Amino acid sequence: MRSFTHINAGTVHETCALLSKYNGKAVLNAGGTDLLSTLKGEHLFDYPEAVINTKTISGLDYIREDGGVLEIGALAKLSEIVKSPLLKKNYMALVEAARSVATPQIRNAATMGGNLCQDVRCWYYRYPRHIGGPIRCLRKGSGPCLAVKGDNRYHAIMGGRRCFAVCPSDTAVALVALDAQITIAGPKGERKIAMIDFYSPLGNALKKDEMVTGITVPRITGPMKQRYLKFALRKPVDFAIVGVASVIAIEEGVCTDVRIALGAVAPGVVRARRAEETLRGCYINEDIVSQAAEEALAGARPLSMNAYKVEITKTLVKRAILI
Amino acid sequence: MAIKTGTSARKKAMKEQYIRLTVNGQRYDLEVGGEHGQVDPAHTLAHTLRETIGLTGTKVSCDNGACGCCTVLMDRKAVLSCMTLTVECDGKTITTIEGLKDPKTGKLDPLQQAFIDYTAFQCGFCTPGIIMSAKALLDEYASPTEEEVKEGLSGNFCRCISHYQVVKAVMAVSVKAR
Repeated sequence: MRSFTHINAGTVHETCALLSKYNGKAVLNAGGTDLLSTLKGEHLFDYPEAVINTKTISGLDYIREDGGVLEIGALAKLSEIVKSPLLKKNYMALVEAARSVATPQIRNAATMGGNLCQDVRCWYYRYPRHIGGPIRCLRKGSGPCLAVKGDNRYHAIMGGRRCFAVCPSDTAVALVALDAQITIAGPKGERKIAMIDFYSPLGNALKKDEMVTGITVPRITGPMKQRYLKFALRKPVDFAIVGVASVIAIEEGVCTDVRIALGAVAPGVVRARRAEETLRGCYINEDIVSQAAEEALAGARPLSMNAYKVEITKTLVKRAILI
Repeated sequence: MAIKTGTSARKKAMKEQYIRLTVNGQRYDLEVGGEHGQVDPAHTLAHTLRETIGLTGTKVSCDNGACGCCTVLMDRKAVLSCMTLTVECDGKTITTIEGLKDPKTGKLDPLQQAFIDYTAFQCGFCTPGIIMSAKALLDEYASPTEEEVKEGLSGNFCRCISHYQVVKAVMAVSVKAR
């Protein structure tokens, strides 16, 4: 790795001030499991001048419920999320999503905020310098998306336009199904946006001088069946080829409320709203769930090599509702 | 290149010129900087352990967080030393494969002995990482089930397919603890 200035941040405010000062030339580090491979691969044209360690900010690793609202700090480790009795009781979709991430060693280091802010896995985007990279593309400023005509087996099947890399986060999918909000801090204070609005086709909603400080999940009323199902080639280590999260309330066989989120199919997380409408108020059986799965994928426009992801997503949607 | 920035950060850097690590019970005060023997901000813990301190039992294979060969215990938890910056480890307690044997008698940890008894390796390059992951698991749960062992070791890869013997070796220690 090439060297950089290393700064241990003391507070969120100080972190934002440093980000302002470096004006895009500094990066934040929490667990390091994503950032270090970016620094080692040097697949971006700009190598950061400074790495700001956020682990030294105290009090950002909470997992707590306050008046029925769940709050998780950006520095909470994924392994703590997997083990948390509070989350296991009411937020199983998030627990299953966190458990599906990478390996035990990575979950011991990786954080909630880092999992949401990790960079995409597109192999053109991440093509390392030591074997001929970096490759220019729109996500790096300008250039065509090589995945469109190249090997796009793991790329977007919907929502892609200028960049077809998919959002790799598992926990983001569960959080969208849980209707979560993400808290973003900047030099002028905090703002909250819906988790689903966090990702944009070429990145996320963070400005140069902003950082994620935590997430909140609104009160869950009544019993909700929650799932996060992930399809990957290998159970450990691998990123999702497709991830589906569902939160559903069923009373005497009738769906009274449902939220379905699709992950790794688009640049952001996708809410399957038409499928949700189909299911709401209906008696849940295989026919209606199959119809909902079709509707969830109605907007899919796969690339040359990834039509198989459409079928996998449909199957996961069905399983997420039925099982 | 040493830690260097504006005044406030420089003041801070003055305070943080040393990284204090306890590795296998031995305290190391490592100077931060770009000279030989110093810890550069870009050094990974794996690099520091192997190149600066000289503990080459920890192996680096993929150097990208995917194989588990560089696994060490940090404050009793299994982490990847290739994905950890040394400058962010100030005050941490690290255990590597060299730290498992009894320091006085030299007797191997029961887990290490089980790996020998069950021939749980072929080329052996991934073995230190596997043993450290297994150690973290056994420290947390004294007698894990076979499923838990497989889950606990899911971040370690062996290209010689020693996995079957590895699971047997770890299970032998697990069963003994019951």
